[in-house]
Amino acid sequence: MDGAVADRSWRASTPEAIDADLAALWRDVGRGETSVARAVMSNLIVFRSPTSAAGGDMAALVGGVPVEEVAARHPSRVIVLEHCHGEAPRAPSASAVGILTFGPPTARYGVELIVVRSACPEPSLLSILRRFVRGDIPTSIWWTEDMSDAAPSDALLTVGRQLVYDSRRWRDARRGAAAMAPLVRHHRVDLADLNWRRLAPLRRALTHARGQLKSDAWRGVDVRVSHAADEAALAWLFFGWLRSDGVGCADPAPMAEAAATAARDREGGALLAIEIGDMHATLSLRSADVVCPDAPPLGVAAAAESEADAVAAELRSLAPDRTLAAALEAIVERFER
Amino acid sequence: MTIVIFGGGGDLARRKLLPALYNLHVDGVLPPRIAIVGVGRKPMSDDDYRAFAKAGVEKFSRRPIEAHAWEAFAAALFFVAAEVDGEQALAPLGARLDIVEHERGLNGDRIYYLAIPPTLFAPTVQQLARSRFVPPPEGRIARVIVEKPIGRDLQSARVINDAIAEVFQEPQVYRIDHYLGKETVQNILVMRFANSIFEPLFNQKYVDHVQITVAEEEGVGTRAGYYEQAGALRDMVQNHILQLLAMVAMEPPHSLDADVIRDERLEVLKSLRPIEGEAVDANVVRAQYGPGFILGKAAPGYTEESGVAPASTTETYVALRVCIDNWRWAGVPFFLRTGKRLPKRASEISVHLKEVPPILFNADRSARLDPTILSIRIQPDEGFSLGINSKVPGPHVQIYPVKMDFHYGSTFGGSSPEAYERLLLDVIAGDATLFMRRDAVEAAWQWVMPILDRWAERGRDGLAAYPAGEWGPSEGEALIESTGRRWMAP
Ligand SMILES: NC(=O)c1ccc[n+]([C@@H]2O[C@H](COP(=O)([O-])OP(=O)(O)OC[C@H]3O[C@@H](n4cnc5c(N)ncnc54)[C@H](OP(=O)(O)O)[C@@H]3O)[C@@H](O)[C@H]2O)c1
Repeated sequence: MDGAVADRSWRASTPEAIDADLAALWRDVGRGETSVARAVMSNLIVFRSPTSAAGGDMAALVGGVPVEEVAARHPSRVIVLEHCHGEAPRAPSASAVGILTFGPPTARYGVELIVVRSACPEPSLLSILRRFVRGDIPTSIWWTEDMSDAAPSDALLTVGRQLVYDSRRWRDARRGAAAMAPLVRHHRVDLADLNWRRLAPLRRALTHARGQLKSDAWRGVDVRVSHAADEAALAWLFFGWLRSDGVGCADPAPMAEAAATAARDREGGALLAIEIGDMHATLSLRSADVVCPDAPPLGVAAAAESEADAVAAELRSLAPDRTLAAALEAIVERFER
Repeated sequence: MTIVIFGGGGDLARRKLLPALYNLHVDGVLPPRIAIVGVGRKPMSDDDYRAFAKAGVEKFSRRPIEAHAWEAFAAALFFVAAEVDGEQALAPLGARLDIVEHERGLNGDRIYYLAIPPTLFAPTVQQLARSRFVPPPEGRIARVIVEKPIGRDLQSARVINDAIAEVFQEPQVYRIDHYLGKETVQNILVMRFANSIFEPLFNQKYVDHVQITVAEEEGVGTRAGYYEQAGALRDMVQNHILQLLAMVAMEPPHSLDADVIRDERLEVLKSLRPIEGEAVDANVVRAQYGPGFILGKAAPGYTEESGVAPASTTETYVALRVCIDNWRWAGVPFFLRTGKRLPKRASEISVHLKEVPPILFNADRSARLDPTILSIRIQPDEGFSLGINSKVPGPHVQIYPVKMDFHYGSTFGGSSPEAYERLLLDVIAGDATLFMRRDAVEAAWQWVMPILDRWAERGRDGLAAYPAGEWGPSEGEALIESTGRRWMAP
């Protein structure tokens, strides 16, 4: 389903007329020479905080995050929501609809796109979302903002089954964890952290080199993890992974300045550096590498994955990631201590 | 052909009938010689009526007005002021019809459309008889179209039907249920009986349950006067929803003959298990909307709406668990629900097939698979889809419910005809398939009466509440969830 957008039909709309305008766009598409099948595997609500950059241009709201690329990989009814809290209940202030068509002439498929801007209290937002999501498909929320700044509202968590976010955006891991606490505790939605996917090669390499976290090889070890600038959340996820299975780990620390610079200079510089006794491991964008004195070095390649690939992969997964949930719980617990 | 619209200056004529007739004219399917004569008490000149019709068509037609087509259409429009329940009421109408028909070279075949308040249905047909508007059946064509509601209970429905039967024979009577005129509803029969894949599955062996949701986003609006007397069960279930149910559940007819199909629909209504006495409390939920939010905006509760009594017990939501006691559907519950002020306007039927045995991909109970669901979207977003579990490409067995989606808009392009277009054309052609026969109307009333009686007995007791903008009260959820199933929101 990968592929560049072949065509975009787009028109300004009013909130009340969104369905009618989408229907009109489909009729236009249907009158075209090649047939276009509507593809819809889920509702995807893309949350955006208000930015002055977008101004009155609704199309600009789709910029900055790879919405179309995700839609091409996991065809969804995409609802881009720019929202901030407002005191008075009111209808969205602006909206637009579009149809994105993808694929070769013989197998074209189209995806619906709805863009709305709203400023209202929670229950009012919920009624807006209920109006636009389809009930017969799973609904995911893609939180494109820094959750340590603003956490998803109740309304979003009520309509969504899954929250996709990227803890790499967190400017402050402690606040990020605080924002996650209620989500982790109440299991209201399945959590999907794009950053967690980047940890996968390291987790595989370490369990291969040392055994499952539950095994004796991990008992009594003291793990230290240091991270490159901007990778604190990744280090905390690693911490949480270990701690959720009872493996001791010190609080992550930034890499020493010299080491961080050196790491950046090296090809595929390390994002994380780990010490487990006399075992050393590093995680870079390319691979996870483990070095231990009594065995040959071990490397696990990291899949080359764009943000759109990662989001689409998470949208396709309908089962909760219990390992991630446990890791988050361990992090939340640590910060609450 | 002359179409006489009693109530031709009313809301239905403006919003539905005149735009439908205009579109039929544009499509070139109206008889070449035709007159459309509106009747009402308020005097209007023919030109006034043409302006009234034009405003309605401009606002409500699915196609914009085209000057040339409009001119020819407008020339066929006339208006006569007459009071249908007055003495000598139709004398001026008769004289005018004779002149119009003579001038336009029409042969006197007529269709009388009763777009007037239901209290006038009986007096109007009596006037038609008294004024000799209804020739003997072997003479010129005379058909009557009757709008909903036909009565507010079994007895009043019988009174109306009796009055009509005194003047018209049943084959001359076309009772409108505009749901039956919708493309998607007609497609139910095509889908079921023109494809080999679905029909073998439509029975108790494969179907777990069926859901029908008719959701309205609107509140009671300006129709409180009518709605206060009606409520959701009368307004939606007794007619539209039971007809949808009949379309989904009926046996294959042996021909497309109108009465053969209507016989089969009637059979379903007759097979509905009665819900009586305390069974009503267990199988039917009624509720009224309170204040809430619709598309972001605050919406008042039902009893705050203008024209609604503060202590009103009229239900704006109803959900039912219904059983059809025949061999095909034994043990398959049908869950029906309708309501005003639900989150969106949508009518949908979904047929939920039984789950596969928990042996392979769902052996682990935590890895439940979505059941296969056939959804028929009646409106808006017309079409149907089949949810099928499919393997996500990749090295692991990961399963995702994909949709095979048939979508009218993107498949056929263009806009589908409105229900009233199809229905009016069928009356002109004399095809009664999509109309309600007397026995079906009365069978439906007969089935809902014990529910209405029980509610009348209980008054406010058992009337639940839901905030405007939600999918109904928690009692409505419990009705289905207590059976281990869930409503599927459209
Ligand atoms: N509106 C809808 O969307 C809708 C939908 C489904 C069914 N219906 C049914 O359609 C019928 C008409 O509804 P409506 O909404 O169009 O009502 P409406 O707007 O009140 O129109 C009723 C019409 O009947 C005429 N009328 C009333 N009393 C009359 C009398 N004694 N003699 C002659 N004409 C008389 C009125 O004209 P004057 O006042 O000038 O006499 C008016 O044109 C009703 O049975 C309703 O239940 C309507």
